[in-house]
Amino acid sequence: MNEALREVRRIFAEELGWSGAVEPHHALAADLQLDSVQLLTLVVGLENRFRIALAEEDAAQVRTVADLVALVERRRREAGR
Amino acid sequence: MRPLARAIPAHLEGPPLPPPRHRTLLDALDEAAASGVVLTFLDAAERETIVPWSELRLRARRFAGGLVRLGIRRGDRVALVLPTAPDFPVAFFGALLAGAVPVPLYPPLRLGRLAAYHQRTARMLTACGARLLVSDRRIRRLLGAAVAGARPALGCRTVEELASGREHGGGAQPGDLALIQFSSGTTVDPKPVALRHAHVLANLAAIATYLGPDPVGVSWLPLYHDMGLIGCLLLAAAQPGPLTLIPPEHFLARPAIWLRAIARKRATVSPAPNFAFGLSLRRVRDADLAGLDLATWRLALNGAEPIAAAVLRRFAARFAGHGFDPAALVPVYGLSEASLAVTFAPPGRPFRARSHGGREVVSVGAPVPGVAVEIRGPSGEVVATGETGRIFVRGPAVMEGYFGRPGATAEVLRDGWLDTGDLGSVEEGELYVCGRAKEIVVLRGANHAPQRFEEALAPVEGVRPGCAVAFGFLPPDGEGEELAILFERNDGGAVADLEERVRAAVVEATGIRPVAAVALAPGTLPRTTSGKLQRGEARRLWLAGALEPPAPVTPLRLAGALLHSQLAFVRARLGAGPGER
Repeated sequence: MNEALREVRRIFAEELGWSGAVEPHHALAADLQLDSVQLLTLVVGLENRFRIALAEEDAAQVRTVADLVALVERRRREAGR
Repeated sequence: MRPLARAIPAHLEGPPLPPPRHRTLLDALDEAAASGVVLTFLDAAERETIVPWSELRLRARRFAGGLVRLGIRRGDRVALVLPTAPDFPVAFFGALLAGAVPVPLYPPLRLGRLAAYHQRTARMLTACGARLLVSDRRIRRLLGAAVAGARPALGCRTVEELASGREHGGGAQPGDLALIQFSSGTTVDPKPVALRHAHVLANLAAIATYLGPDPVGVSWLPLYHDMGLIGCLLLAAAQPGPLTLIPPEHFLARPAIWLRAIARKRATVSPAPNFAFGLSLRRVRDADLAGLDLATWRLALNGAEPIAAAVLRRFAARFAGHGFDPAALVPVYGLSEASLAVTFAPPGRPFRARSHGGREVVSVGAPVPGVAVEIRGPSGEVVATGETGRIFVRGPAVMEGYFGRPGATAEVLRDGWLDTGDLGSVEEGELYVCGRAKEIVVLRGANHAPQRFEEALAPVEGVRPGCAVAFGFLPPDGEGEELAILFERNDGGAVADLEERVRAAVVEATGIRPVAAVALAPGTLPRTTSGKLQRGEARRLWLAGALEPPAPVTPLRLAGALLHSQLAFVRARLGAGPGER
């Protein structure tokens, strides 16, 4: 499994207390119902884990789990990590 | 029953206030710079950036030079929207050195709701009449719409742009304004609390009496909030003593970073609101604390929101194995209108709780030095010990008023006494806070604290813990006030029959059946900047039919907001002329 997706699932399960499934096609807001603090927890968790920075502008490209995972992967490649 | 105790008026006086160590915060900065003490910033990987106060002072003097060259004059308000980083103290003290008044505001959340943020920020900029907004490069991109809404005369600049000025160090007087901080009240009408140097230093002198020898601080609290700003940063300067700061978002992402920093720095004092203790219980693992101990932590100050005795007990039990001393849990009470601290429970004594209307209420202790507290009844008379009423506060750290708001000031300040709007009682010389006066639910002539109803939801499966608000309302076809309870359901939880189960739980626990029990999506209830649920605001929105789930983070919305804010920002800068306010 993709490492970023695994980390997203870990954060949902361990940090956000989410007991349901987290699938790539799930929308962060509509399906997983993240509130602003939970979203911050997720974003900062990913940034810290992969040593990348997700700028506010990135938000425009992120709607689903798959979008977020793709963004993390792209930032990791750019950072050479 | 207890006739003698009943006769004692509910009035408490703190011990005499020792003279403050400094006349102004600038004197404190000078002493901190000369002391060799450092401020440490932790990043997400727990790497340290160590900045001596001498360097912060030098950079602040250059920043002050930049402000003066830009046209900042004595008494101008300079809004600061900055993360937890060395730029914050540089800009804060730099504004003071330029003779200006710093106004810390909170930065936007990553991927957060920008439109609402812009509105709130613009209101605060207007409320304090900010002439300039200071930010950093990353955040400035997101502030355009707020700047366009409030149009500060000198626009928005970064610390970097202003930090290369010629050194400037004006003096200050104890009666000069030292800062404006916003009360944690409603977002519709944020009130600017104006504090003078003398207010802040009096409160710091009072807090210092509890610190014990050689205090070492750790904090993840935001620096735009009274407990993080006055209780940590300014206290560290005035002591002066070492302080380690963690950006709040890193604490949120990984709460263990807080307790690890306390252990590794051998910290003696670290304050936090109740929820942080709960979050740590849930999310800090034993492995996170392997080989570390919390035995040096003497003051685990708990304030800024209602304190749950159960959380304190569980926290003490959970971390006892890591050397945590249960007597270090010190409940405190305060509010931004009184600078910060009003009461402290006696350090070194296990916390006290009593039953109040079927709920367990924690003692927040006795007034800090120089402060008086009393409980008053509906007609303003001081009630007897043991009776519940409104909490009033007097002391040298109580503000003289809201900035530019004489009407709002007159509502809360009379003859030097501040009406906190909180409800409480005095028992055996200590204060117990049991709710907010305005939020009392009056049903059929009887007063109820809303917490009573909200807590009845705790055992109901599918309800998000602690995310409920109860209030009274008048149904259009009703004969009197009825109870409504709005609550957030769990992530992904089933909604089927949830509202009915909530009604049943409330009626079982309290004997009152809510006419309305409404399940909402997580994150729907309005909260203050410090995360407290806002009952009044929730009630207003619900009655207006405007309580909606959080705006979905769609690509279009965010792209639109961003584009709009950037354009607005360019316009604001180009259009800003001298003298425009």
